[in-house]
Amino acid sequence: MDKHTPKPRGLNAVRFYLALWCAKLSVPLLRITRHNGTNFPGELALKLCPDFLKFVARPETIVTVTGTDGKTSVTNLICDMLEGAGRSVLSNRLGSNINSGIATCLITGCTALNRPRFSMAVLEVDERSSRRIYPYVTPDLTVITNLFRDSIMRNAHPEYIAGFLTDSMPPETKLLLNGDDLISSGVAPGNPRAYFGLERMDSDVTECVNRINDLRVCPKCAGKLRYEFVRYHHIGRAFCPDCGFRSPDCDYAGGDVDLKAMTMTVRDAGGEGTYKLLSDSVFNIYNELTAIAVLRELGFAHAAVMKLTEGLHIAESRYRADKAGSVEVVMHLSKDRNALACSRVFDYISSCPGEKELILMMNNLNDEMNWSENTCWLYDCDFEFLNDPSITHIVTTGPRARDYRLRLLLAGVPAERIDCVREELAGVDRLRLAPGSHIYILYGTDSMNMKLAAQVREATIKKAEEAVK
Amino acid sequence: MTIEILYPEICNLYGDLSNVEYLARSAGARVVSTSLRETPRFTSEDVALVYMGTTTERGQVLARDAFAPFLDALKKRTEAGGVTLVTGNAMEIFGEYIDLDGGERLPMLDWLPIHSTRRLMKRYNSLYLGELDGMKIVGYKSQFGHSWGEVGEGLFTTLRGPGINPDAVPEGVRIGNFMATYLLGPLTILNPPFARYLLTLMGAEEPALLFEEAAMDAYRTRVEEFSDPRRNLTY
Repeated sequence: MDKHTPKPRGLNAVRFYLALWCAKLSVPLLRITRHNGTNFPGELALKLCPDFLKFVARPETIVTVTGTDGKTSVTNLICDMLEGAGRSVLSNRLGSNINSGIATCLITGCTALNRPRFSMAVLEVDERSSRRIYPYVTPDLTVITNLFRDSIMRNAHPEYIAGFLTDSMPPETKLLLNGDDLISSGVAPGNPRAYFGLERMDSDVTECVNRINDLRVCPKCAGKLRYEFVRYHHIGRAFCPDCGFRSPDCDYAGGDVDLKAMTMTVRDAGGEGTYKLLSDSVFNIYNELTAIAVLRELGFAHAAVMKLTEGLHIAESRYRADKAGSVEVVMHLSKDRNALACSRVFDYISSCPGEKELILMMNNLNDEMNWSENTCWLYDCDFEFLNDPSITHIVTTGPRARDYRLRLLLAGVPAERIDCVREELAGVDRLRLAPGSHIYILYGTDSMNMKLAAQVREATIKKAEEAVK
Repeated sequence: MTIEILYPEICNLYGDLSNVEYLARSAGARVVSTSLRETPRFTSEDVALVYMGTTTERGQVLARDAFAPFLDALKKRTEAGGVTLVTGNAMEIFGEYIDLDGGERLPMLDWLPIHSTRRLMKRYNSLYLGELDGMKIVGYKSQFGHSWGEVGEGLFTTLRGPGINPDAVPEGVRIGNFMATYLLGPLTILNPPFARYLLTLMGAEEPALLFEEAAMDAYRTRVEEFSDPRRNLTY
């Protein structure tokens, strides 16, 4: 048994081992019936033994990654680097990040006699599920990537989620926090902590241009905050002229970001290293910096981490580009009901070179099956980025096509650049496919939407290829 | 014409500020923002609409404390027919108190005849269909509690979905032209007839709305959806 795990006794032991063995037995059964990758083992275990997470064996070192955006990418990067260094890492990177997903992961990571099979775990944890996980699983290190507005229904607002994390975080867990994000960097103020952040970049500004900035007043005295620089939304370096509160100094500072050479320097108390950038998007630069900071926290030297980043790449499951006829067809995940994620995607696309045409299909179709998607997020989201001359045509589709059209008009996009159709596949017929242009299909995260997006992609490629015949 | 937004630095969740943008751009109105440590403009100048939007739980307390010295001025403004719109949980700021998790009672401005509850572990999400002066009203609710009290007919009459609480028919509170509702987000954009109604109250003559045709197109679709008895309203 490792240092974290109490041994079940008496009835608890009976219940726990019954749950563990049933759950373990379900794993091959699920595989045989082609249902692998589900949370079922964890769900079953938690049903049979509600305290299951308390007793299940876990690796000696546990790193958890949470936050609004980037947790999957950061988890993947950390795991890839650790595995590159020869470590055997238990991770839920292919599974779910809620309590039953964590339970499923730990079930696969222990023996039938409840002995850990791994020395280290890197677990992605859903922010809202933290109160069901952290009372039982005490991480050695918890990374919070950032806290932004997310689903209005589930996450309310970032201050609420920060409170959630503060209330559930074990006091002994060290936190690795985004020093450029004054919401997440204030979580669990009594915990030991270190900060990462990116030094000022050429593209930073001093006044927020986004519709959302969730930190305009000082968290301490409610005075008006001033920003030394703003990167986007509330990300930047701020201070309060009234009480002196300010963004924390960063223990892991990324700087000298060179997008031509695709390098950045990371400085910390132990020295500095020059790292290859895995992506030119600021979001992914943050993800890479975060993963580097984790490896440094785990004791790896800069030289070793630099070597480990050499062979890395950011998982492209959210972005896929194909040449078709005379155009490029790009599938880009644009997380539905998430104003901030869509704003970042819109900003990125508008800054990409070349002429662009967009199909907007980020409707949440699961919501549509049961009720109707809450569209408040459209007015938190910076559709104004799409009012760019390089974006020559936008096709709005799906149940909320009319809402997208209105939002685009209000964002200043000329009416002649907008087409509005109810059926997603019919949107393909409206594409103009100018030679040399880039066709972006922006899709959401729900499973029905993803399937439909794949069909739209195929239809677009087919149309583009036929256009040059 | 001037529209004043109270405390936009904290009362700005869920796209609420787009209400003011839409009205102001439609009417060519000037927008002034009053921050927490400033005196509201309506106390000293002619303001066609005062607006306060949804905020965080901490924001409710900050807004309550900031606005307390000006409550009497708001009452006078309301008696004189001044138009005010309050959306989302900002309505609770003007009520009597909020009962919190664990039994604590948080006093609020004690003007509106409502008291509220806050249950941080029970997020309540709903669609809404109601009526005002023959206009269909559609909207969204996403909140941590409900309100109770003698609000008469309220602001809207509920056709489907919850009123100020799930058992109530009245939705929101209305005193003269002071209008408060739990509906949040782009309420005026979702409801062009309501936007026109507000602009008329604000003194606009023959108000026209920005992109009215597109807004009405989306509105008609939503009214049809929310009227469909097969469509669930609670998330």
